[in-house]
Amino acid sequence: MNVYLDYAATTPVDKRVLAHMQEIQTTTFANPASSHAAGRQSMDVVTGAAQQLGGLLNVDPDSLLWTSGATESNNLAILGAARHRAHRGKHLVTMRTEHKSVVDVFKELEKQGYAVTWLSPGDDGRVSPEVLAGALRDDTQLVSIMHINNETGIVQDIESLGSVCREHDALFHVDAAQSVGKVHLDLQSLPVDLLSLTGHKFYGPKGIGALYVSSRPGIHIEPLMWGGGQQRRLRPGTLPVDLIAGLGVAAQISADDIDDEYSRLAALRKTLWEDIRTIDGVHVNGDLNNGYPGILNVGVDNVEGESLLLALEPVCVATGSACNSQSQEPSSVLRAMGRSDLQAQSAIRFSFGRQTALDDVKFAAQTYCSAVKRLRSIAPERAA
Amino acid sequence: MSSDPYNAMVREYFADPKHAGDLEGAAIGYFSDQGMHIRLAATVDGERITGMRFRAWGCPHVIAAAESTCRQYEGCRVAALEEFTSAQIMVDLAVPIEKTGRILVLEDTVRSLGQAIRDSA
Repeated sequence: MNVYLDYAATTPVDKRVLAHMQEIQTTTFANPASSHAAGRQSMDVVTGAAQQLGGLLNVDPDSLLWTSGATESNNLAILGAARHRAHRGKHLVTMRTEHKSVVDVFKELEKQGYAVTWLSPGDDGRVSPEVLAGALRDDTQLVSIMHINNETGIVQDIESLGSVCREHDALFHVDAAQSVGKVHLDLQSLPVDLLSLTGHKFYGPKGIGALYVSSRPGIHIEPLMWGGGQQRRLRPGTLPVDLIAGLGVAAQISADDIDDEYSRLAALRKTLWEDIRTIDGVHVNGDLNNGYPGILNVGVDNVEGESLLLALEPVCVATGSACNSQSQEPSSVLRAMGRSDLQAQSAIRFSFGRQTALDDVKFAAQTYCSAVKRLRSIAPERAA
Repeated sequence: MSSDPYNAMVREYFADPKHAGDLEGAAIGYFSDQGMHIRLAATVDGERITGMRFRAWGCPHVIAAAESTCRQYEGCRVAALEEFTSAQIMVDLAVPIEKTGRILVLEDTVRSLGQAIRDSA
């Protein structure tokens, strides 16, 4: 029996989403850029999905660009905004705890002559508006800070941080891959200029995401690709109607269910933590009070991380972000939060979702406790 | 090509390390490097190793390698320890090349054990 507790890496496609996509694949397959009746029918599907996603985020559907996922959205937002505003200044701000699809883009921009300020989080994993304000300069053009951290579940105060950016006339980009469909996001009221999301984190299909670009005056980005006039020339390419339709339904389902699911996940996380907190030397990498309840990242003293992961089978969990799972390096996120290499290396991320039952969590806790006990019983005393 | 980073032998030895533990009155070899800690214990009767146990703090390959070493040398002549190399274990356990240093920690532990046995003779 496998117990899947890696929803922060990806979620299964909701059956309702799949059913809709299958119908679209066979009935509405025409190119939505085509002007004939079938093409217009496809475009209607795309427009409907944009309305569903726009409803979830409370934004004008026309402010959404379809992409292949959050990595592309992050690239398009950061590179596109930085390049468009390069003539005004080349200073950018982000955090050390961002996802690699943000970190690596900023590293690339550094190579291209941009100056990047890398903010470290406080002990609670968050960056304060005061710290951000202190990092901003007259030539700062863009700030990129993720909403919910994919490894720890720590939630940044994007409302306060965005307000600081507005005061300094810097664009504010938010990587919301872990938060869209899971927590309320009202982009009419939040001071966010650019926001990245992906379908497969909230029960939609893989290969489809979106970038929200605010219609506020002065918000423009450069395209990264050329080759067609689709999506206002900002992201050319034939639109995958079935994937877009699936993302739309996923957004609608999440919108209908968001509060109940949040409460249910909070109860599951509480149960898991209560069941494993009795282990000597176990600690939370995150914030149990203010963090997103779908993620519980725990570390434990005197246990080797890779062995812990194998001993945890058949519970499917992560040692870090899925993108980093092939790496032996300790999590850069946890290192930035002040954890030692050893502490970071023992970190296990449990993440829950729609199909997680109480029994799954109880089984995971029991397996975790047994694994820690067994590995400690094997270790020599001098390793402690 | 399997996406599983562990072959069947690693999985078996990691899941059921029959030689994990201690032996009373045993000679002890210990080495620590690269974040790995390995302890080997052996009881000897004359020229023969009568019992062998390990304790290890490390990745699954290291734990499996320590178990494999105990299985290999229990019942063998003490002199056989001198011939230990990590090369065969690397092959048997399909240890990734980037973990070579960790298996060399085991090699140093075996040498430490050989010295401890000689010292106690």
